[in-house]
Amino acid sequence: MTQAAIEMHGVNKTFGPVRALMDANLVVHPGTIHGLVGQNGAGKSTIIKVLAGIYKRDSGTVRVHGQELDAITPAAIEACGVHFIHQDRLLVPTATVAEAIFLRNEPHIGPFINYRQMNKRATELLKRYFDLDLDPRTLISELSTAKQKIVQITRALANDAKVLVLDEPTAALVSKEVSSLFAVLRRLKADNLAIIFISHYMSEIDEICDVVTVLRNGSDVGVVTPAEAGIEAIVQMMTNRDTSEMYPRRDVTIGEPVLSVNGLTLAGHFRDVSLEVRAGEILGITGLLGSGDKELVSTLFGQSVPDRGEIVLNGKPVSFRSPVQAVRHGIAKIPEDRRAHGVATGLSVGENIALASLDQMSGWGFVNTRTEAAKTEALIKELGIKTPDRHTMVKNLSGGNQQKVVVAKWLSCDSQVYLLDEPTVAVDVGAKVEIYNLMNRLASEGKALIFLSSDLEEIVEMCDRVLVIYRGALIGEYQRGEIDADRLLAAASGAQMEQEGRSA
Amino acid sequence: MTTTIDAPNGREGQLNSGNLSKLAIRLGAFAAFAGIVIYFAIAARGFTSPFNLTNIVEQSTILGLLAFGVTVVFIGTGTDVQRGGIDLSIAANAGLCAAVYAVLMRQGFGDAVSIVAAIATGMIIGLLNGLAVVTLRIIPLLATLAVMNIAAGLELVLTENTVIPVQSPLLQVIAFGRFLGISTLAWCFIVISVLLIWALQYSPLGLRLYAVGGHHEAARAAGIRTGRYVYAAYIFAGFMAGVTSILIVSRLSASTTGTGLMLLPILAAALLGTVFSRRFIPTIGGTLLAALFIGVLANGFQLLGISSYWVAGVQGVLILCVVAMTSFAKRD
Repeated sequence: MTQAAIEMHGVNKTFGPVRALMDANLVVHPGTIHGLVGQNGAGKSTIIKVLAGIYKRDSGTVRVHGQELDAITPAAIEACGVHFIHQDRLLVPTATVAEAIFLRNEPHIGPFINYRQMNKRATELLKRYFDLDLDPRTLISELSTAKQKIVQITRALANDAKVLVLDEPTAALVSKEVSSLFAVLRRLKADNLAIIFISHYMSEIDEICDVVTVLRNGSDVGVVTPAEAGIEAIVQMMTNRDTSEMYPRRDVTIGEPVLSVNGLTLAGHFRDVSLEVRAGEILGITGLLGSGDKELVSTLFGQSVPDRGEIVLNGKPVSFRSPVQAVRHGIAKIPEDRRAHGVATGLSVGENIALASLDQMSGWGFVNTRTEAAKTEALIKELGIKTPDRHTMVKNLSGGNQQKVVVAKWLSCDSQVYLLDEPTVAVDVGAKVEIYNLMNRLASEGKALIFLSSDLEEIVEMCDRVLVIYRGALIGEYQRGEIDADRLLAAASGAQMEQEGRSA
Repeated sequence: MTTTIDAPNGREGQLNSGNLSKLAIRLGAFAAFAGIVIYFAIAARGFTSPFNLTNIVEQSTILGLLAFGVTVVFIGTGTDVQRGGIDLSIAANAGLCAAVYAVLMRQGFGDAVSIVAAIATGMIIGLLNGLAVVTLRIIPLLATLAVMNIAAGLELVLTENTVIPVQSPLLQVIAFGRFLGISTLAWCFIVISVLLIWALQYSPLGLRLYAVGGHHEAARAAGIRTGRYVYAAYIFAGFMAGVTSILIVSRLSASTTGTGLMLLPILAAALLGTVFSRRFIPTIGGTLLAALFIGVLANGFQLLGISSYWVAGVQGVLILCVVAMTSFAKRD
């Protein structure tokens, strides 16, 4: 066996009470493309950030080419020949292509940067590896996403990379660009580079990876060869979790359609989406990062104005140009990033809850404090928000309780359609269950719920119906009980389409 | 793939129109500069005389050197002048340095010690800015405003709000010396400009400083210790304040109050400079041109007999226009 390029053993990392990595291992050999897969929160990005020196590990060993590294800094790991192609394109927008490639490694004559040499070498590298004729004096800000990605990889190659870590490299690429990227990766593999490839797209993992490490709940649960094991097995390893009594049952009769959408299109995000949600129904929507799911929900809430298509509410066509109009029509949204959109952390619990329904609590321009107090106290009790009293500032509450405040805020204004965008992200299990209970209660009161989540298990267990969105289009609809998390993941990551394509 | 999302390609057209508007603004800036020079040459008597032209350069020297300090801060803390860093303290800092120099000279310490002390004072104030912005993470606008008040206050403590006259052979040379027909002051401007153009536009150090300002996270990911660069930028601005303070004292033969009033033209020059660069970023060459531009304006107004109070108004309008134009061009 050859010397491994990267050896990470028994790596642990906790963030407060959350154990992001538990004795995780990752061993990558030169001349291989090594896939790293796992669901959201499985620890993929944490283990990579530990390797990159962005997070400090709590314990565990890291060896690069056999050399043990104690404390990792971004500069030190780069000196070892390990280069990271981050998901967000970390490039200086005002720099030229050549400057971005040679930053910190500038060819120079004495104290002067040798711009001629720099431009020449940049041109050569782009030609050699990517067969790309790109003027090295072009500004980064003028390049397309794909070309920026290429510049990042070229930068790593110019710095004599031995190990290349690509975090979701294809997320913003179109299929032609993906195949040319894969051609490059295969060439680099032949040059004996070790490549770590992180992707949500199972079809890509299948196509490009020699070996795959599967992460689940912060641990590596298997190292397999996709060609032998097959995608289905990998997906099952990713999702196989203990589904105990987390998901409360409910018994609801589903009524008339409340909200329906026909041929809704938002250019660049989603197209021709048609769906309906009925009273008492929980409709799940799931898709990969960037599939357009979030934009769909924010369009329903009036945060974006669709290019085409109509939204029908209670049989009447409506159009929202702002969230204010959506709220007036009885639509509520519980946003994912509660700090940014959901709660005013500097206000008290009571004030936050009252915020969405001040109209109902006030008259003659004054807030009726007695009504406010009564209503908010009732909700705090009902939702089990753990707070000393309603005057406590929201920022002093835990994440789960903050989320409950957001939910309470919208409950208090009695909407008819609830849009929930990842309501259980970053909250503990106990709070999750309480949020599920709330959702069930809303449904039983005849509300219509649209539930967006990338936690597939949660989607499968909670929803009456699930829609799968893939690269901006709805590609599947499943009734409750028709699908499990594994198959849903396969569908959402395009593996199913891949297989249909093969059999055809 | 059954669906293709056309987002990546759809953006390029907009970028082109963005480039076009950038080009228009840039050419417009050059045209405005040339137009104003031509107008003064025709309308203002004596504008083109060699004496007056040297005078413009000398008037612009102090403004330009201090604007270089701010330019370096702009480069290292964000080429987007609104969200990035700024150094509001530089003019007050120069006033403090001049006071330190003058007071020490009056006490008989001699040029060498006094100059070193003045420059060290400037750098300490710069360090304070760095501390406030980098270590304490106070927003630069507020942090340097506070430091500006510290510097201005210390200046008043030292001078008790009086004019402190200073004489020395060195000051004579700076104020009246000439070499190859060019005054010492103008030589300072030329030499420092050339050095800075090399350091910022042609050295690896400069490229890295631009990277830190252009995209902090990207620079960090490239292994650059970004905090040090921002610190260095503020300390350099302080250094420029120290150096320039000597020139200020030599020109006036005294340390006087009111140096802090130069802040507006300094900011105007540093901001206007971005319009002259291809990438719409602060550059030494751009700031140099902008400083001369503002010098020409002030000089021309004088010759035309327009009240100098108008100059301040025009500078304010320039700042507004430049910031509005650059952010408008970037929004595309």
